[in-house]
Amino acid sequence: MNARQSQIRPETLRETTRRHFFERCGVGVGATALTALMDADRAHASAESGAGVKPHHAPAAKAVIFLFMAGGPSQLDLFTEKPALQTHHGKLPPQSYLDGKRFAFLKGTEKLLGSSRRFTRWGDSGQEISDLLPHHRRIVDDVCWLHGMQSDVFNHGPAKIFLNSGSPQPGRPSMGSWTTYGLGSEASDLPGFVVLQSGPRGPRGGSALWSSGFLPTTYQGVPFRSGPEPILNLKSPDGVTRKRERQFVDLVSDLNKQHRNSVGDPEISTRIAAYEMAYSMQTSAPELMDLSDESSHTLEAYGATPGQPSYASNCLLARRLVERGVRFVQIYHTSWDHHGGSSQNLVKHLPDVCREVDQASAALVLDLKQRGLLDETIVIWGGEFGRTPMGQIQDTPGRDHHIDAYTMWTAGGGFRPGVIHGKTDDLGLGVSEQPKHVHDLQATILHQLGFDHERLTYRFQGRDYRLTDVHGNVLHDVII
Amino acid sequence: MFSVRIIAALLFVIVGSTPVNSDDTDIDFSRDIRPILANYCFKCHGPDAAVREADLRLDSALQAYADREGSQAIKPGDPDASTLVFRINSRDPEEQMPPPDSGLILSEDQKSLLHRWIQDGARFQQHWSFRPVIRPVLPNSKPGSHPIDTFVQHRLKTAGLTLSREAERHTLMRRVYLDVIGLLPAAEEIQLFLSDDAPDAYERMVDSVLQSPHYGEKWARHWLDQARYADTNGYTIDSPRSMWPWRDWVIQAINMDLPFDQFTIEQLAGDLLPSPTLNQLIATGFHRNTLINGEGGTDDEQFRIESVVDRVNTTGAVWLGLTVGCAQCHNHKYDPLTQQEYYQLFAFFNGTKDVNTAKPMLSLPTAEQKAHLSVLTEAANSAVQALAQFDETHPADERTDDQTTQRAELEKMIQEASDLRAEFEKLIPTTMVMQRAKEPRVSHVLIRGDFLRKENVVLPESPSFLPAMPSDGNNLKNRLTLARWLVRRDNPLTARVTVNRIWMQLFGRGLVETENDFGLQGTWPTHPALLDWLSVVFMENGWSRRSLIRMILTSATYRQASAMQPSTDRIDPLNNLLSRQSRLRVDAEIVRDLTLAASGILNPVIGGPGVYPPQPEGVYAFTQRPAHWPTSQGPDRYRRGMYTFFMRSAPHPMLTTFDTPFFNTSCTRRVRSNTPLQSLTMANDQTFIEASQALAARLVETHHHDNDRISLAWYLCLSRSPTAKEQQRVQRFVEVARRDLGETPSESAAIAGTVKNAHTMERAVWTLVARTLFNLDEFITRE
Repeated sequence: MNARQSQIRPETLRETTRRHFFERCGVGVGATALTALMDADRAHASAESGAGVKPHHAPAAKAVIFLFMAGGPSQLDLFTEKPALQTHHGKLPPQSYLDGKRFAFLKGTEKLLGSSRRFTRWGDSGQEISDLLPHHRRIVDDVCWLHGMQSDVFNHGPAKIFLNSGSPQPGRPSMGSWTTYGLGSEASDLPGFVVLQSGPRGPRGGSALWSSGFLPTTYQGVPFRSGPEPILNLKSPDGVTRKRERQFVDLVSDLNKQHRNSVGDPEISTRIAAYEMAYSMQTSAPELMDLSDESSHTLEAYGATPGQPSYASNCLLARRLVERGVRFVQIYHTSWDHHGGSSQNLVKHLPDVCREVDQASAALVLDLKQRGLLDETIVIWGGEFGRTPMGQIQDTPGRDHHIDAYTMWTAGGGFRPGVIHGKTDDLGLGVSEQPKHVHDLQATILHQLGFDHERLTYRFQGRDYRLTDVHGNVLHDVII
Repeated sequence: MFSVRIIAALLFVIVGSTPVNSDDTDIDFSRDIRPILANYCFKCHGPDAAVREADLRLDSALQAYADREGSQAIKPGDPDASTLVFRINSRDPEEQMPPPDSGLILSEDQKSLLHRWIQDGARFQQHWSFRPVIRPVLPNSKPGSHPIDTFVQHRLKTAGLTLSREAERHTLMRRVYLDVIGLLPAAEEIQLFLSDDAPDAYERMVDSVLQSPHYGEKWARHWLDQARYADTNGYTIDSPRSMWPWRDWVIQAINMDLPFDQFTIEQLAGDLLPSPTLNQLIATGFHRNTLINGEGGTDDEQFRIESVVDRVNTTGAVWLGLTVGCAQCHNHKYDPLTQQEYYQLFAFFNGTKDVNTAKPMLSLPTAEQKAHLSVLTEAANSAVQALAQFDETHPADERTDDQTTQRAELEKMIQEASDLRAEFEKLIPTTMVMQRAKEPRVSHVLIRGDFLRKENVVLPESPSFLPAMPSDGNNLKNRLTLARWLVRRDNPLTARVTVNRIWMQLFGRGLVETENDFGLQGTWPTHPALLDWLSVVFMENGWSRRSLIRMILTSATYRQASAMQPSTDRIDPLNNLLSRQSRLRVDAEIVRDLTLAASGILNPVIGGPGVYPPQPEGVYAFTQRPAHWPTSQGPDRYRRGMYTFFMRSAPHPMLTTFDTPFFNTSCTRRVRSNTPLQSLTMANDQTFIEASQALAARLVETHHHDNDRISLAWYLCLSRSPTAKEQQRVQRFVEVARRDLGETPSESAAIAGTVKNAHTMERAVWTLVARTLFNLDEFITRE
C-alpha cells in the first residue's frame, strides 16, 4: 500500500469506526466517565482520539450561555439614546442614510420614530439603559457592550441561522456544535450542547439553529423540555422500575458482550457504554431540572419558581448545566419582533417581554460572578438583528428589522467588563465607530474558547468549512 | 472560452489518454506527483499569474517542458537535464527549491518520486476521475472467478492478505434482506434457505429478494437523501407541502429498474421531453425539493436564486461527485472549475417558473376522483343553466315573490355546487414540478455569489475540463441538453459516482472514500480498475441498478464474514483492501422497520401521503408554529419509517437521533453515530414499547416452553438460533422476572400493555425479553 492510501483521514476514521461517541472528550458523555465504563478495547479507543482537534491556545473560557432574544430587540428603545431621532421624529430619513440598505417590510416612505423611553446612564461605564430594563443597571459594569453589530440577512429564519452558523442557509454547524466539536464536553451524563426555550413559541428556523450541519450528529444541540423529563424518552416504560431497568441493562450488556467476543467490533463496547450512560441519565437529568434545592435567595434573585417553566427558570438551569460541565447552553426567548400593530407593538409588548427577561438575565450574570464561574463562562445576550429608526406604518408604533447597527452584550469569559465598544450614527441607521459583524463576534467567542476561527475547520465536500465562513476578525479591543 | 478548450485538447494530445491504472507500483501523476507540485511549487509556479515567479508554470506540460534559453525545467525522460531536479537537490540557498525562506522542505521520498516520474516520461496525466472510463483488463485468476473477486484478490495478494471465509448462511441471508429491502426474512424463509442445499441457493435467494417491491423502497430512500426530500417547505414557517407523489414515483422507477440514464433525464428535464407522460412530469419534482421561505417580508428573488444555487450544487454532488458549490463565489481552489463555468451551469436551472413558490404543481386525481369531479362539474353547470333558463322565462320585472325565492334557491345551489367542488379539490393529491418560465431569464456571473451584484452575462454550457456538450441545433442549451450530457457514454463521472455510491451502501464505504468529492482534493480509489470495470459494465448493461447490485451481491467479496481479524487489522486497519465485510448500523428508518417487522405489526403498504407515528410530547415546543401532529391510530401507526411525515424544522426525533439528516440540502452519505440518546429511544419510545408488547404476545401465543420462545424470538429478531450461552442467560432473566412480576400483578399489566388476564404475567415477562432483543447491537446491525 502506498503512502497516500495508508494515510488516515479523520473523516474516514470517524466514519469507519463509528466512534463519534468517545472521540476526544466524547460529547454528551464525558471522556472520563466513558473510558471508565469501557472494559475492553481501550488501546484501540485511545488511538482513535488522535483524530481530534486541540485548542490552539489556552482558553479563557470553557463554557458559553447564549441568551438568544429571538425576533430582534429594539436597540433604540433599550440601549442607545438618540436625541436626533426625537428631534426629527415624524420626518423622512435623509436619502444618503438609506443608500445601499435593504429592509424586510419598509417601502421607503416610513418616517423616523423617536423612542418614547427614558434613558439614564449607569455605572462607571456610563452606558445608557432605558427604563424598560431596570435590573440591567446592576450589571452595567460587568457587561461588555457591543454597539454597531451588523448582520447580512434581514429575514428572521436566515438571520438566526446566520448568527448561529455563519451562513444564512441551513446546513452548517452551529456555534454550539463547533464548540463541542472543538472542546468536547466535561458533562458526565448530560449532552454537551443544550437548548432551552421560553416565550410563546419556538424560534423561527427550528432545529437548523442548533444543528451540527455536516459535523457528526453527536455535536447537535439537544433541546431540553421543561419539567422533570427534559430529554425525550427518558422515562422507562410503565411498570419498569429502577430495579427492572438495571436487570434490563445488565442483560443487554451481557448479550452484547457475548456477541462482541465473536465479531470483535469495538463499536459494541461503545453501545454497551451508551446503555450505562442512558441509565444514569435517567436519574441525573431530573435532578438537574429540580430547582427545589436552590436557596430561596437564589430563586428570588432570578424570579424563578420551582416547577414553573419560565425564562427565569431556564437562566437558573443554564447555571446548573454549566456547573455540571455542559459546554454550550442556548436559551431562546421569543417575541422580540415588534413591528407595531395590535399584537407586537413597542408600547405594550416590548415592555412585557423586557419584564420577562430583565431580572433573570442580570441575576444570571451576578450569580455566576458570585460563584466564581463568570470568569470562565461567556454570557451572550442579543438577537439576530435590531430594529430600524423608522417606524412602521401601523396603528400602534413598531419598527422593522435592521441589520446595520444593532446592539448585543457579552459578559464574563474574558470579555472586558464595563467596556462600551462601537457607536452608531445620530439617527442609529449606520455605524459611526467600530463596526463589527456577526462573524467578528463568532471569531471572538471561538478565540475565548481557545480556537483560531480560521483553523477550527472541518473538511466537507472538498472544502474546509469554518464557523466564520471566509470572514471574521477577533475583536481584540473587547477581550482581556 | 473556446481557447481554453483548444489548450485542453492540445494537452490531451501531448499526454495522451491513459486508463486509470490498476498497477499501484506505477507512478500516477494525479495521485503521486500533482499533490507534491501543488503543495510545494504551485504557490509561485502555478496557475495564478499574479504571484508567478520567473514566468515558470509547473501546472501544464507545455510550459514545464518549454525551452528556456537552452534549458528545460522538466525534460521528459531525462532527469539530469531537468533544472527542476537540479534545483530540488541543490544545497545552495540561491539555487535551492523550494527556497529556504518558504519553510517548505521536500522529503527524500518526494524528491525520488519526482526523479522517477521525469525518468518515466514526466507525463501530465489528467486527474483520474476526469479520464475516460475504459474497460480494464481483468487480472489473471482462477477460471470461473467472479470478476469483482479477481480485482479484489489481486489487490489483497500484493499486501499478503486474502478474503475472509464466507459468512454464515443465516448472516448472509439477513445481510441480503437488510441491504436490498431493509426488512427481515420471515422465520420460515430462513428455514427454507438453510435447508436448501442446491449450489445456486444463494443466487436464487438474492434474485427473489431483488424482486420484492420493498427493494424500491429501500433504494429510493438513498435517492431521497440525495434529493433532500421532505414534507415541509423549510425555513421558519415550514408549512406542509405535497411531494409524496414524486417520492412514490422514485420507488416505482427503482422497482421497474428504470435505467439510470433515463431516470436522470426524466428528473432533471422530464418536462422538456417531447410530449412528456404524466410520470415524466412528476419526475421533475427532484429539484423542487428545495426550500421555500414563507416568512413575511422576504425578497422572493433572493430565495429563488438560492434554490437555483442549490440545484446546481446538488446536481454537481449527485451526478458529478464534484464540489461545484466552491465556485459560486470564486474560481474553484482545487478543481479546474471557474466561477464563470459555475454560472454557466447555473444558467441551465435559471429558467424555471417557480419563484420561492409551491407553484407550479400538478393535480393528480385518481380515476375515482376524476369521475366524481365530472359529476360535480356537471351539477354546477346544470344549476347555472337552470338559472339562465329561469331568467329568460321570468325576467326580473315580472317575477312574483315566489319566483324571487325560487331564484334565490337556484343561486344557492350554484354556490353550494361550487363550494363542494372546491372542498373536493382539496382532497386531490398534488405534486410540485419544474416548468420552463414563460420568458427566459438572462443569467449573470454573480460577484461573490451575491444575487444583487451581477457581472457579465453567461449562457448554459458545460465546464471545459469535461467532454464537450453537443450543441442543440440553434436553440440555447437547456436542462434536457444537460441531463443527456450527464449520462453520455463519454461522461467520465456520472457512472463512476453512481456505481461508487451503490458500492458504498453495500460495504459501508465507497471504492472512492470521498464519495462526494471526485475532484483533486478527493481520495484516490482503493480499486481504480474495479471501479472502472463496474462503471463500464453498468453503462453497457443499460444503466441497470438491479443488475449492478446483483453482481455485487453474488461476489465472494460481498459474501465474506465481517468479523474483525486482529492479524489483518494490523496491516489494513480501515479494511481498505476488503479482506472482510463491514458491520454497519442500519439507517434510522430501518431501525424502526426492523422492530415493527420482527414484532409482526408492520403495515407494509407502499406509498401515499406521509403518516404520523406517535412521537414524544414537547417536540413542537421548539418550533415557530406548534405544528399539528395528528398521531396515526389505525394501520398507519405502523408504516415503514420512510413514510413518517418529515417536518424540516422539527423532524420526528427518532429519526434524527439515528442520524437522518434534516434535508435542507442534499445528503449523499449519512453519518453513523452511537449515543445514549439512541439507547433511550430504543428502550423507551412508545413505538418500541408497543412493538415489544406485540412480539411478546406472538411468542406467548405460539409456544409454551421458554426454550421455544427464546428460539423464536432469536429467529424473528436476529435471523438465527440462540447460542447455548445466550439461551441460559435469557432463561435466568425470565425466571427472575417471573418471580418478581408474580408479586406485582398490576405492574405486569402495565408492562404487557393489556388488561389483566390469565396470560398477563407471561406477556409482561416476554415483553421485557422482547425489549432486550430490540436493544441489542446485533439487532440494528447489518453483520
